[in-house]
Amino acid sequence: MTDRSHILRPVALLAGVAFLVLLPFLVRDQYQLHLAQLIGVYWILIAGLNLVVGYSGQLSVGHVGLLAVGAYAFAILTGRYDVSPVLALGASGALGGLCGLVLGLPSLRLPGFYFAMVTLAFAVIINEQSVAQTELTGGGVGLPAQGFSAPFASPQGFYWLVLGISALVTWLTWNVAHKMWGRAIIAVRDSEVAARSVGISVYRAKLIVFVFSGVTAGIAGALFASLQTYITPDTFVFELGLFFFTCIIIGGRGSILGPFIGTVVLTALPEVVAPLAKLGNFFYGLLLLIVVLLIPEGFGRLLTQAMTRLKPQAAESKVVAPDPARLKAALGTRAGNG
Amino acid sequence: MLKVDAVSKHFGGLIALSEVSLDLRPGEIHGLIGPNGSGKTTLLNMISGYYPVDAGTIRLDDHVLNDDRVPERALRGIARTFQKPRLLGPLSVLDNAMLGGWRDAQAGFLATAFLLPSVWRDERELRVRARELLIGVGLAHALDRSANLLEHAEQRFLEIARGLMLRPRFLLLDEPAGGLTPTEIEHLGTVITTLRDAGIGILLVEHHTDFVFRICNRVTALDLGRLVRHGTPEEVRNDPEVIRVYLGG
Repeated sequence: MTDRSHILRPVALLAGVAFLVLLPFLVRDQYQLHLAQLIGVYWILIAGLNLVVGYSGQLSVGHVGLLAVGAYAFAILTGRYDVSPVLALGASGALGGLCGLVLGLPSLRLPGFYFAMVTLAFAVIINEQSVAQTELTGGGVGLPAQGFSAPFASPQGFYWLVLGISALVTWLTWNVAHKMWGRAIIAVRDSEVAARSVGISVYRAKLIVFVFSGVTAGIAGALFASLQTYITPDTFVFELGLFFFTCIIIGGRGSILGPFIGTVVLTALPEVVAPLAKLGNFFYGLLLLIVVLLIPEGFGRLLTQAMTRLKPQAAESKVVAPDPARLKAALGTRAGNG
Repeated sequence: MLKVDAVSKHFGGLIALSEVSLDLRPGEIHGLIGPNGSGKTTLLNMISGYYPVDAGTIRLDDHVLNDDRVPERALRGIARTFQKPRLLGPLSVLDNAMLGGWRDAQAGFLATAFLLPSVWRDERELRVRARELLIGVGLAHALDRSANLLEHAEQRFLEIARGLMLRPRFLLLDEPAGGLTPTEIEHLGTVITTLRDAGIGILLVEHHTDFVFRICNRVTALDLGRLVRHGTPEEVRNDPEVIRVYLGG
């Protein structure tokens, strides 16, 4: 059961990466490439948000507010102050992280429902402010956003930029999720009591992850602005925040591949299948309802379950049989730490 | 030494504990018995920090623990298990145990995200230690199993292994024998005495009094939040007051 999966995994990964890198040559028209770019931009935000929602279990529905902050920062910096797009991209990320900190500091101590309400309020406030602060944001008329300069100026170049950042963010979140920090935030999600009992400062862990998600949301916002070339408050409606949240829930909590597939499917499906586009939010609502009622663990879990089904299961012993000598030796390694 | 000194606790008008004292010493098993509602678990929750202390002090050596929060006490070397095991269902047994190594994993969030060498080192060391501890407590057969597929007894032993990953000086066990078969209780006894011999101080909150009297060095009996008797297992077992309120005639 081990050998085959050891070979299969890198091969599948390599094939996936090759496909994504070569995608600009495989698409039929510019619109499909635009769609791929949009999925990449959304995924940068959702990958970070996934650590908050899927791993730490903090139900933020307001990350669209952070996306807007990043987008407006990018448009203003590049458009009004002639800052180079790459620098503005970094600044948007930093500002997103700062906003994440300011939003998370008071709210992450609140129980789940109230935390969700605060993030909702944040998204609404940002949206209202983007209308009201006409001088800064252009109000309801909006702002033009600059494109990147070469080599990221062409649609292909911009796609590879988005792909590169997506890959980086995915790698970062993968590392966090699969090492000690992943165990810690899963403990925060599944049992705060257990998390605290092993010395994890729950609030601090939540806050750090939330700030990280703010950075990725800010970066996604900058890329989003550049992709759309023009941003208005209408772009950053609360439904978009709910959409990000839905991608993760449908993909499955505690998985990275699941929410990624969720993002791809939910972004592309209404665009590709015309009748679904007419349904609009109804389609997302329906899908969410189906998943929550039928497979509350999401599609990601369904996938891993299918994979473990395929593995041959040895007859499983359930007998606890301690080995005192081994235990004594294992405890012996505690020496030197008083 | 972990010293509980005249500690009291009330919930609203209800007095849960009234000036109870006891101390835990390294290499000693201290039994805590008493009828339901006598305050055993309340006391355990106060030592580990889940309930604030209303009056009295809890000390670890010369350090007063009263104002330390739960994680701080864990980092100081006080580990515990729960009456109802608190495990991370989707994670493997090995990962659940490794969670207890949080204190020793030095890598911060960014170091982890960027996979710095210290992350590899932490993971490797903790994995080896968790493996050895799990095999030691008797879970060699289930290292890669999801925690939510474990039998009740396996869950209890896994919680002990997770606690041991903290390299604790003191381990607080909240009814570890609850729901275990006689053979499993036998195994539990083997594990606990091995821990004692390794120098860990153990607080054993338990209803199986035979088990308590058999393996404990000292026993404290509570009733209605008050200390009834403290002493050797022999003394406590034969105390008329303990027999009246708890053991029965």
